[in-house]
Amino acid sequence: MLFVWGIFVSLVMIPGCAPFVENNTIEDIAPVTFWSISKGEKRKIKMSTLVPPLVNEPKSLLTLEVDLLKQGGKDFNLRYYRELKVGQLRYFLIHEELAKQGIIQLINTLLTDYDISQRMYLVIVKGNFDEYINRQAKKQEYLDYYLYRMLRHYERKRQGEMTIVNLHEYKNMLFSPFSDPVLPVFKVAKDNFTYEGTAFFSNDKLIETVTSTEDQIFQLLDNDHYLKFFPIPKLDVVIGRLRSRVNVDLDKNLSLVTINVKLNGRIEEYQGNKNILNGNELMQLQKEIETELEMKTTDLIKKMRDLKVDPLQIGTHTLSPFSKPISEKVWLAAWGKMKIKVNYQLYFEALQNTKNNY
Amino acid sequence: MFWKKGKSIANDSSDTQKPVPRKISLDSLKQVLNNMDDVEIIERTTLNDQKVVLIYLRTLIDQDRLNESIIEPVIQCPHAMIYESIATPKVMKIQLLEEAQKSLLTGAVLLNDCIQEQWLVIPLPNELGRGIETSETETILYGAKDSFTEQLEPNITLIRRRLPITELKTEKYKIGSLSETTVVLMYIDGLTNPEYISIARKKISEINFDLFFDSSQVAAFMEEHHHSIFPQFQQTDRPDVCAYSLGLGKLTILVENTPFVLIAPITFFHLFQSPEDYINRWPVASFLRVIRYLSFFLSVALIPFYVALTTHHYQMIPLQILFVLAESRSKLPFTPFWEAILMLTILEIIKEASLRMPTKSSQTLGVIGGIVIGQAAVQAGFAGKVLIVLVCISTISSFLVPNYLMTKANTLIQFGFLLLSSIFGVFGIAMGAVAILAHLNGLTSLKQPYFSPVAPFYWKDWIDLFIRGPLTKMKSRPDHLHPLQKWRYKRRM
Repeated sequence: MLFVWGIFVSLVMIPGCAPFVENNTIEDIAPVTFWSISKGEKRKIKMSTLVPPLVNEPKSLLTLEVDLLKQGGKDFNLRYYRELKVGQLRYFLIHEELAKQGIIQLINTLLTDYDISQRMYLVIVKGNFDEYINRQAKKQEYLDYYLYRMLRHYERKRQGEMTIVNLHEYKNMLFSPFSDPVLPVFKVAKDNFTYEGTAFFSNDKLIETVTSTEDQIFQLLDNDHYLKFFPIPKLDVVIGRLRSRVNVDLDKNLSLVTINVKLNGRIEEYQGNKNILNGNELMQLQKEIETELEMKTTDLIKKMRDLKVDPLQIGTHTLSPFSKPISEKVWLAAWGKMKIKVNYQLYFEALQNTKNNY
Repeated sequence: MFWKKGKSIANDSSDTQKPVPRKISLDSLKQVLNNMDDVEIIERTTLNDQKVVLIYLRTLIDQDRLNESIIEPVIQCPHAMIYESIATPKVMKIQLLEEAQKSLLTGAVLLNDCIQEQWLVIPLPNELGRGIETSETETILYGAKDSFTEQLEPNITLIRRRLPITELKTEKYKIGSLSETTVVLMYIDGLTNPEYISIARKKISEINFDLFFDSSQVAAFMEEHHHSIFPQFQQTDRPDVCAYSLGLGKLTILVENTPFVLIAPITFFHLFQSPEDYINRWPVASFLRVIRYLSFFLSVALIPFYVALTTHHYQMIPLQILFVLAESRSKLPFTPFWEAILMLTILEIIKEASLRMPTKSSQTLGVIGGIVIGQAAVQAGFAGKVLIVLVCISTISSFLVPNYLMTKANTLIQFGFLLLSSIFGVFGIAMGAVAILAHLNGLTSLKQPYFSPVAPFYWKDWIDLFIRGPLTKMKSRPDHLHPLQKWRYKRRM
């Protein structure tokens, strides 16, 4: 009997499920949905969060200047009557300036905290987010929750319209030798909090942000390969329901990368001078779009190459089943000098009245 | 010492003294039947002036048939052989007083033929009892509506009508020193494994107790695990279920004065099978069976999960639900554990009361209970809205299990899980589940594994386990029952 009790007690103690648990009953806690981090004074970090997220009380923004992330977590508790718990932390907003200096310490802290879900989204913010949320929280009661819903909605394999990266994905890209992490960038402008584009990271430092058309091309090349609308203002056209198939080809001595993109879509809107109901003019427009996309894509990839970052994970194409992988250093050296060739093939869904006009 | 093991009533010397057999006589009978108001001793004279004494218990015999079959023919009897004139099929001669006593108490008439100096026993039992009605405990929409009654003979008839074969054997036993209850063991000879029959025979003959009013008492004496909460015999009042089980290679035990028949050997999974499973189309029946298992899980684990999540693992709750939970719990003075215990106890009280109350009052109880639990408890701040919803789901789920005894076992498991979850969280529920599985794995029914065909594993029997496969595919009898005839169809030579 003693033996059985021994096993029972050890089973209980080993996984940390001892009866002496923290008091976690949900009415005593205030789950934190986000942390906003920006640069404070004298090398400190400024942390903010909104409380309470659950009960019907007026929302208030708590802000602290601390040296360490966990210190902030502790000090928040001392300022609010409920215990703030990070178990429901859904997104982590990092200010652009801080991201430029490197965020590896922050990420490590988040990764080693077993309370924090790996599915928490990371976001880069431009502008003063604290001011925005302080103002906006009075108008929108559940603003913090709605922001999380928006990020979740546009997550890859859900919508793919914007870059959405969670902690786990960021960590994987950061520590993989043939890829570099990306994060979405949101901009605060008065009462607007809008998606700006995608930030490229070299190691853990933000080095470049791509916006508008370039970001859309990035979505087509890497993130979910789908766009509901792709406006090209230069050609007065909006292509819709775009789905891409990307084929990357590296030559053996790592001097040329050829990217072939097959696009399927349809013209959603056209404000230009061509008569797209005429087959020949439509083909002309198609050629123009292909040329434009090839140019823009070449520019985007050149930008990546010059920055020596590889968010498209082209380096993974050097891997083959029975050969030794090249080192990260060798790859980045080759990538920095690589020639780039981009081909687009665009297929439009047939328009109703074009059939007999060829 | 009085709690010493092995001490039994039979060992008491005062009980073991057997009475010396005495010859039957009118005086000794009168002495035995002293102070019994319903005893009738009547004397009649036949046509040739023979004196005949008839003794019977008025309350146990059919008085109309007494007149028609015995008194009239005996009075009119012109010759000396009186028993030849009696118009009943069974007439026996007896000599011992003990036999006479027993016969009287089973509804027989004793006839003393004074010239021949012999005592005759003429069975004339009163066929008092209710008619065959619809089963109330295992109601089904389609299918046979008849159910067993308290009388043994009609019950056997109901089964025999469904299995009109001479291989269907019935073995009669008497158990209970005071109740003298008849128990009938039924099986199909050449189909049911003889090992089960011999185990059952041995167990029935070893029963040593005074009173048996219900088959569950018989089951209690035949079970191998007395302290388990799981029933090791299936109890049913449906003849079709009995006949189907007999056909699969199980045996049934019918007990006098109870409409519930015992079926053995059973497994845990038999308790989730309903007679309607074999009436519905197989995909529908499979779906319903899966729902039944799911509802068993819900009834056992839903409230403990609520307690575990709200006490230990708030991280596991999706944010949207956390809003609702925190809102519903914000004004409560109790912890989730006490909140759940309170509501479940009240619910059990209401459930038990509604069973005991007359039908008309139980409607009132339902309304009051509904309002108290659904509305007032929330408004008074005793329970959260979410818990009320979960209690409703778990209670309704518990009624989906067709076996009533199993439904009651659910409640105990639920309370056990609740305690574990409040201390250890989800890990406690996991520990409880492991313990229950280990216990189920160790149980037996007529010495056969209770958790088969899962453990020990019989993969062919899975066609009628969690799902109910097409009947046309169920060509063999379940392997775990080890029937002597494997195939359910006639094989061509």
